[in-house]
Amino acid sequence: MNPTRLTVAAGAAATALLLAGCSGGGLGGGGTDPADVAPAGEVEPREISWLLSRPADGGVITTMEQLADEYAAEHPGFELNLITTPDRPSYIQRLETLAAAKELPELFDIDATPFAQKLADQGRMMDAEALLTDIGVHDDYRPAALSYQRFDDGSLYMVPFEFQVELFWYNTALFEKAGVEVPATLDDFPAMCEDLRAAGTTPIALDGQDQWPLERYMAYQPFRASGNDFVRDLKRADASLADPVGRDAVAWIAALGEAGCFQEGFSSTGYADAQALFTSGKAAVYNIGTWELANLATDALDAGVRDDVDYFTLPVTDGAATAENEYVSPSGIGMAVNARTYDPLVRDFLEFALTRYPELYAKTGAISPTTTAETTIPDNATPLYERAVAEADAVGDVSAMPWDTQLDPTSNSRLQQELTLLVQGDITADEFVTTMDATIAEHGAAAFE
Amino acid sequence: MLPHRSRVAVLVFLLPPLLLYGVAVLLPILQSLGLSLFRWDGITPMEFVGLDNYVRMLGRDDVFWQAFANTLGYLAICLVLQLGGALVVASLLVALRRGRELIKTLYLLPAVISTVAIAFLFRQIYSLDPVGLLNQALDMVGLDGLQQAWLSNVSTVLVAVSVPEGWRFTGLYMLIIYAALMAVPAELEEAARLDGASRWQVFTKIRFPYIRPVWVTTAIMATTYALRGFDIPYLLTNGGPGQASELVTTYMYKSAFSHTDYGYASAISVFIVVECLVAVGLIIALLRRKENA
Repeated sequence: MNPTRLTVAAGAAATALLLAGCSGGGLGGGGTDPADVAPAGEVEPREISWLLSRPADGGVITTMEQLADEYAAEHPGFELNLITTPDRPSYIQRLETLAAAKELPELFDIDATPFAQKLADQGRMMDAEALLTDIGVHDDYRPAALSYQRFDDGSLYMVPFEFQVELFWYNTALFEKAGVEVPATLDDFPAMCEDLRAAGTTPIALDGQDQWPLERYMAYQPFRASGNDFVRDLKRADASLADPVGRDAVAWIAALGEAGCFQEGFSSTGYADAQALFTSGKAAVYNIGTWELANLATDALDAGVRDDVDYFTLPVTDGAATAENEYVSPSGIGMAVNARTYDPLVRDFLEFALTRYPELYAKTGAISPTTTAETTIPDNATPLYERAVAEADAVGDVSAMPWDTQLDPTSNSRLQQELTLLVQGDITADEFVTTMDATIAEHGAAAFE
Repeated sequence: MLPHRSRVAVLVFLLPPLLLYGVAVLLPILQSLGLSLFRWDGITPMEFVGLDNYVRMLGRDDVFWQAFANTLGYLAICLVLQLGGALVVASLLVALRRGRELIKTLYLLPAVISTVAIAFLFRQIYSLDPVGLLNQALDMVGLDGLQQAWLSNVSTVLVAVSVPEGWRFTGLYMLIIYAALMAVPAELEEAARLDGASRWQVFTKIRFPYIRPVWVTTAIMATTYALRGFDIPYLLTNGGPGQASELVTTYMYKSAFSHTDYGYASAISVFIVVECLVAVGLIIALLRRKENA
């Protein structure tokens, strides 16, 4: 083939690809109207799948497996195929790839992210508010559990399966040894860290490898100052980190770094290693949710520290806009119902499962997303277990939204990276603010147009 | 000139692999080229943006340039370890009379261990708490002041993620170079030695020129592999802390699968293809010039 012919052929191939690409981009909406939660027709049993991101041996999966078996006994031919990818970043990649290929299964887990909002806008997820109401369980749910799953406009497309509160677990013996008190306000954190450091203790154990635990700290000051308003404005570039609320948050994070709050090399410390720092008595504080109750408030906890562990909730700030009992109380990743595959069977199974789920789930020792079931305290629990469960019952209606579910993915990645650098002292607070404002201005504004 | 039947036979045998190569390699490259002209998150309609992804990549994205600089550093460390290390070990191996097979096997071993295992191994080696092998060794020789979290320090992390990749394939390239060195005619070296050539002169005037074609191939392989390096940095640090160990490849992966910015990720992938072609071209040109000199 001569060069001219080769060029023409390559050009034709590229054009064909471009056209193919263009035609592939025009994705249609769902197969069922998202509000039509009670479709007419017979229940025809078949296999349905749930793509989920939860621990394989956790309470949600074991409970749903039990319910699916019970339903299958009454409906021969039915099967619930659970496909779990507990590692969240891997799960999100899988979910997004399947969404792009329009191959999402009947049920799939998703947070209230901008990506989920796009799926909802395209009519690809059933209206969970209508579904839960139609099934008759809507009012059973804790307002905070539903609120966590809602988009900014208040719409609800995900069903919660759990409820957690995130607490600051601390070692009373190490606090006593260093002569420090539980911080009364967030501003007391740097001083607490310095005193603990001076006593030869790692102040706070942090899983830096997964990045979201450090991002939680970024959310605390703004949540106390303005609830979730600041992050909702910031993610659209309608607010700036140079604003007073943002400045205070950045300065606080920098102060935590300067005070040596986290263990050396925290950015390469994984989840299990960070927890081991606390449970082995090397670190004094550990910020984690009640999903770890089995490890922190039962006899599974090292006997050497078991009697020394206590917790405190997110401290307030002077003039805080949110109440003491309002902090991060997530209801976990939610379950969305695919509108394209929604039919009488899916509706019938969800009614069966969601009405029985809370009671069975609470028996596993977990906290139900509804107010209708009382958590069974395990026999090997320490007194902390019951206290933490009671704490969950006492939370206010406003939950601090984790920033990783709020920001667009590009800004979120950059924020996580820059936070590590800020805490390590590799960049200044001003550099942090400039970089993040520029990133959010370019990507956040476009993502939420 | 081949007779007609032979030409048909050659075509029949060459066409299937060529077609396979076209579908598996050239088509995705062309597809990436097409996709790089669009903004697409995978679920909303594609938006044609022309060259904006390239303008953003080359003009507005500081992370991309940081990743590119890191890639060059990563490449340099890998090449020194893989080519330099392989040449030294292979030369010593040629001089060795006993135990060659054992040493070859030991050096080759890392190339057959899974990447995940290597990443896990090096995470333990670099660890500060609990104290890993490297920090223990420093302590034993009295250099405890140098102990640190190697994967968390922005000054050391790039070297820390490059070393496992370099170490991993040194044995493989050593084997290739060793085979080439074994093929150097003994009478040539003997004649040179009789004429009074030193060991260094024998190496530079006889051995190396003789293995130059193999060296070029090895250099191309090592360079393209290093430029496409992804797994160990991704598993060890995920590009962090900050962007200190971010490579162009890990950044491309994140752009596609974390940021769902498929058009931009395609533009980066096109850059990687061009980068590899330029690197290979430079190696060939450089070595040809030396050959002609």
